[in-house]
Amino acid sequence: MNRREALRQTALAAGAAALWASLPARTWAALAVPADWSVADEALLTLIGDTIIPATATSPGAGSVAIGRFIITQATDCYPPQSVDTLRRALREIAGASRQRFNQLFSSLAVADREQVLTAYEAAPQQGAYPFRLIKELTLLGYFTSEPGATQALRYDPIPGAFHGSVKLAPADRSWAL
Amino acid sequence: MTNHPTTPGAREHTFDAIVIGSGISGGWAAKELCEAGLRTLVLERGRDVKHRDDYPTALKNPWDFPHRNKTPRAVATANPIAKKCYAFDEATAHFFVKDDEHPYVQDRPFDWIRGYQVGGKSLIWARQTQRWSRFDFEGPARDGFGEWPITYDELAPWYSHVERFAGISGNYDGLETLPDGEFLPAWEMNDVEKHAQGKIMAAFSGRHVIQGRCAHLTAPQPQHLAQNRGQCQARNLCYRGCPFGAYFSSNSSTLPAAAATGRLTLRPHSVVESILHDPVTGRASGVRVIDAVTKQATEFFARVIFANASCLNTNLLLLNSTSARFPAGLGNDHGLLGRYVAFHNYRGSLSASVEGFEDSYYSGRRPTQLMMPNFRNVRKQETDFQRGYMVFFGASRAGWQQGNYAPGVGAAFKDRITRPGPWGIYMMMQGETVPRKENHVRLSADRKDAWGIPQLVTSIGYDDNDEKLMRDFLARGQEMLEAVGAKKITARDSKQNPGLDIHEMGGARMGHDSKTSLLNRWNQLHACTNVFVTDGACMTSTGTQNPSLTFMALTARAAQHAVAELKKGNL
Repeated sequence: MNRREALRQTALAAGAAALWASLPARTWAALAVPADWSVADEALLTLIGDTIIPATATSPGAGSVAIGRFIITQATDCYPPQSVDTLRRALREIAGASRQRFNQLFSSLAVADREQVLTAYEAAPQQGAYPFRLIKELTLLGYFTSEPGATQALRYDPIPGAFHGSVKLAPADRSWAL
Repeated sequence: MTNHPTTPGAREHTFDAIVIGSGISGGWAAKELCEAGLRTLVLERGRDVKHRDDYPTALKNPWDFPHRNKTPRAVATANPIAKKCYAFDEATAHFFVKDDEHPYVQDRPFDWIRGYQVGGKSLIWARQTQRWSRFDFEGPARDGFGEWPITYDELAPWYSHVERFAGISGNYDGLETLPDGEFLPAWEMNDVEKHAQGKIMAAFSGRHVIQGRCAHLTAPQPQHLAQNRGQCQARNLCYRGCPFGAYFSSNSSTLPAAAATGRLTLRPHSVVESILHDPVTGRASGVRVIDAVTKQATEFFARVIFANASCLNTNLLLLNSTSARFPAGLGNDHGLLGRYVAFHNYRGSLSASVEGFEDSYYSGRRPTQLMMPNFRNVRKQETDFQRGYMVFFGASRAGWQQGNYAPGVGAAFKDRITRPGPWGIYMMMQGETVPRKENHVRLSADRKDAWGIPQLVTSIGYDDNDEKLMRDFLARGQEMLEAVGAKKITARDSKQNPGLDIHEMGGARMGHDSKTSLLNRWNQLHACTNVFVTDGACMTSTGTQNPSLTFMALTARAAQHAVAELKKGNL
């Protein structure tokens, strides 16, 4: 059975077809706005995420997938309770660093200046290492498991059909999303 | 309550055979008994799970999961045991029991991973399937801790029988320590794995690196297509249930085959409280069932009963099946029921990086890994510990997760982490543990579950032999990774609790001698011969292999014996 035939059989299988049809369009972006978080804080997180993973020629950035909402929801639901405080601390410290370095809001900075603030924050030993790693980890998870991240920034093949153990990697080839 | 099928409605409640449990061994019992002509009742304590229809997450994309397939804290907090299982996540949680609904008592820490539904854990198993060798069956007697009443040669045709139907992929490796079976084509190795294979086998004689053997249809044969099962699509999302039926499960394979005979009655939500013993005949007459939902009790009767409730639940059931004849549990004349429980030692693992191979990659997701059959103490005792271990390993390239610990932000960072990263290689052990009398389960004297059944107490732990065996694996693993040329080798002892291996075995072990074992060479209770135990509870020792294939073969063999004995009028 080749892949096309496998796909056809899957689609024909009553159960599988019902599955596709019943899939709710549920993603975290459709979840309620998290309590206790201001629109401004969420927007700042989204902008930080979009600075970590910006739009490039072939794929959109993390800002396009409402990454701030994901970071807050995921940290609140899945991480230890203190992670939410860590996120808030990171936002305060990044905002502070932005004022100190450029005397401007982070959201008003040019891309290169935002990158400079975040790079310095990530490199700062005690202060920024862990909070920034948390934001980075959540950004990467949220983005690379989103449809644009998985299918455009990476290669997504839900039904590979076969495993090939030795494939020549071409210079432009991206990683598999799964 | 009566133990005789004379109560009103008894006629409708009487079958030729009853199978308790619908998991990997219960499914086989149902298929073999139905195909031999017996009207068979399969009792499953959980809900029904229909192949394809009841795999709600099978075709979901990562972005279809609100938490991107991570476990929310509330779910993790409510399931402190199940959450430890590698296969438990947002896509599969519905196939695991909720810990708070099914409490048990841990005398010593034991992580009991359970799947209560039609199909049991056959939906969420790791699907690795290797035959035992003669060394595994002969080992306990050689090392003085037990005696298998059967030989490899006796089981070999039954391995073939179940392999052909289930569909097992693998290479014909010609190794005495891991006999070949009826194989579908094996999966491929990647370039780094081939490199590791060459280096290890050149450096260490007797250590064989082979491709894993697994219950996946790499090239479906007519008997598989007849089951409406198709070719494995290399998705490796198996724990959600396979819409292609490409891996073996009760739901996709044995239960439909049993149903096709017209002789199967499958009854979900049926918690078997006890097996009923008839003092007149000296045999079991049936079972007492508590409806999982209404909690109403009812009874079913049959001439043959197969206990396939999963290792520890079968122990619990037998211990709870008390009568005037068997006050300490069915078949338990010597107090050995529930004892000699063993498991697999998974504590040790190693990881390392491999330089080079930068233009080499792979496509698809292989549902197995490389393995090295046991090479310790095979022909004679050679080390300061008893028995040995299988090694699993594999190599892969880092994906986007490499970015979690890589410094940087922006377009260049994004570009870097979306390309395949360095190669990594890992090794893990699957060590045999020696069954000890003190490693046991028993019934709680005071705690009951929601169905009024005593809770199980687990008293199972590691011993000094397990520590020594693990240290040996870590040392041998280190030297093998060095031979491969790997860098940054890290060895780990997870210290994980027994049970998390999900390979618990024993408690009603087989043996020739009814004074030292519970079951005879046909898996019949010595003291109540129409009760067959063919799940993990029957195991006299653990070997180093993944156990499910052996449970399947033992079950098919025992079912054939049960049918023959019925025909002869012996049951």
